[in-house]
Amino acid sequence: MEIMPIIKLYANLRKLAGTKEVSIPGASLEAVLSELVKRSPALERILLENGHIRPHVIITKNGHPTTDMNAPVIEEDEIAIFPPITGG
Amino acid sequence: MNGWNGKILEIDLATQTYKTYPLDMEMAYLFIGGRGLGARLLWDLVGPEVDPLAPENVLIFTNGPLTATGYQTSNRFSVTTKSPLTGTVLDANSGGFWGMQFKKTGYDVLIVRGKAQNPVWIEIKDSVVAFHDASDLWGMRVFALTEKLGQNNNKRNVLCIGPAGENLSRIAAIMNDRERAMARGGPGAVMGSKNLKAIVVEGSGRPEIDDKERFKFLLYETRKLLAASPLTSQALPEFGTVVLMNIMNNIGALATRNHQQTQFEGAEAISGEELTEKYLVKNAACWACPIGCTRISKTEKVEGEGPEFETTWAFGAQCGVDDLPAIIEVNSICNDLGLDTISAGSTIACAMELSEKGYLDSDLRFGRADLLARCVEDMAYRRDLGADMADGSLRMATKFGHPELSMSAKGMEFPAYDPRGMQGQGLLYATSNRGGCHMRGNMVGLEVLGLPKLIDRFQVQGKSSFVILNQNSNAAIDSLVVCKFTNMGVADEYFARVLSAVTGIQYATSEMIKVGERVWNLERLYNIREGFTRKDDTLPARLLTEAPVDGPSKGWVVQLEPMLKEYYRSRGWDENGVPKKQKLEELGLTNLM
Repeated sequence: MEIMPIIKLYANLRKLAGTKEVSIPGASLEAVLSELVKRSPALERILLENGHIRPHVIITKNGHPTTDMNAPVIEEDEIAIFPPITGG
Repeated sequence: MNGWNGKILEIDLATQTYKTYPLDMEMAYLFIGGRGLGARLLWDLVGPEVDPLAPENVLIFTNGPLTATGYQTSNRFSVTTKSPLTGTVLDANSGGFWGMQFKKTGYDVLIVRGKAQNPVWIEIKDSVVAFHDASDLWGMRVFALTEKLGQNNNKRNVLCIGPAGENLSRIAAIMNDRERAMARGGPGAVMGSKNLKAIVVEGSGRPEIDDKERFKFLLYETRKLLAASPLTSQALPEFGTVVLMNIMNNIGALATRNHQQTQFEGAEAISGEELTEKYLVKNAACWACPIGCTRISKTEKVEGEGPEFETTWAFGAQCGVDDLPAIIEVNSICNDLGLDTISAGSTIACAMELSEKGYLDSDLRFGRADLLARCVEDMAYRRDLGADMADGSLRMATKFGHPELSMSAKGMEFPAYDPRGMQGQGLLYATSNRGGCHMRGNMVGLEVLGLPKLIDRFQVQGKSSFVILNQNSNAAIDSLVVCKFTNMGVADEYFARVLSAVTGIQYATSEMIKVGERVWNLERLYNIREGFTRKDDTLPARLLTEAPVDGPSKGWVVQLEPMLKEYYRSRGWDENGVPKKQKLEELGLTNLM
């Protein structure tokens, strides 16, 4: 069975993808992200640079920020993707 | 003289006289300007015998050598005083236009002493200082007063207090340029205690720059760097600071309902995305700022600046309110009354918890958006429960028998970040020299946003070195003075290069950061002289013993004790948090021992 974790998008990613939330197949963060960009090419310039995650893009898995793109994902995982943001 | 004007203006309100004298340039070299210079002057002027609301307390307005040079974000300025909220050293800084205009009058520092017999306002036009009767202005709100006194962004700028400051609310702000606030710690109450309603500045000068060609090149480079950074060219202009709402909620570090929870189910409704989509009219910017993070938002009732992230959180998640128009409106009312929105919102949240638990007889309950406007009005005019809320959450909660429900450190209410989900932020709050504050070295960059790199937010060991680095860097930036957001695109190294080009004094990056360390230690010494000890470097019991029961921060409390021990050691302080002689010698502070 295909693993379909939920991906939540924030800030300008929503406008570029045309949605706030999407289910994307993939067994690792890298696979999920790759598929996401394939489906919404407008996200690529924000998220990727030479095929790698751009600096300061924030990805959380179940509320925990991670930079490990090889991390496995399961059906129940909630992945959130934020473009570079700051504030205070 | 390059960068600095080299002059201090000192006003005595009791006699309505003034004098000018040279800035001690050795002091300026060691403390630069802004927060650092203000703290150094306060050390000499206000000792432990002075009550913060007594005429003997002073207001020290400082700009820095970069102010008004045209360097990106060189608009900021500081006010330094003894805080009526915390009793600690206090500086609050603000952007807008007033700081630039004050620098153009030819002064680096304005010291206001004493108390006027009747309300006055001061007008500074270059070297001419005039005292005006403010009896007919006393009672006016900020927006109307600012207009009446002739606010004109690039020519004439108004700084004033509203009713909150007049009524000596210990969470009263000093407002400038209508909606910019020197908010934290109650400087507005100090101004009110002096019967000083407003200070208006008009200047025609410009600071001299030592190496104009080098400065021009650095301006060009900085512009390029800010344009290249997605943070300063996209994130801040597009969504403002409120964009942090969803990420903080996502990771379970958004303090909710007076820190009873760490996630708010209504976060999306009060997020930066929602604000931008439904209420944003346009962006605005402070003088010489290419970033433009200010939001001009509009509801059916108000149109104006803000709200910022901390404000939206304080009246939102912290009060259990998901009504964004109500938050925009209460933000505008606070600006008009001259109130610190973080402390005001968090004090209401504290009153809501006291009421829900039966410790206080009031109709306040979490989620009651309809009561927010009334609460802040009552605070500013000290009506009913507002009389207690006007002095902040700690004094109010203590009066009702439950000081542990005040979410504050040293009496200053925390901002949005719940430190149970960010251990370093907990250490930062506990050691902050002005109380529970994120502007003293926010750890959100390192612990959440990966700026400049992501570190483990739950890790305890080794965390103190990151906190110290941030604290020192922030103290240096606050002393230049430039906006901390510039630092998102421009490394500390650039600031040192600009400082050198402007002043002609060669500051290495390490020397500039050392200024920050010097300022931090001086502020620590000031607080020690005021009677603060190791026991004040702490957090409310809730954050130390009550772990969130769900969400990504489930099971975590702040592991303060081991971090604090490590912090003191790394700072070169003894086990009681007192700077050692060797450290003070290293920083050139032995003359203050």
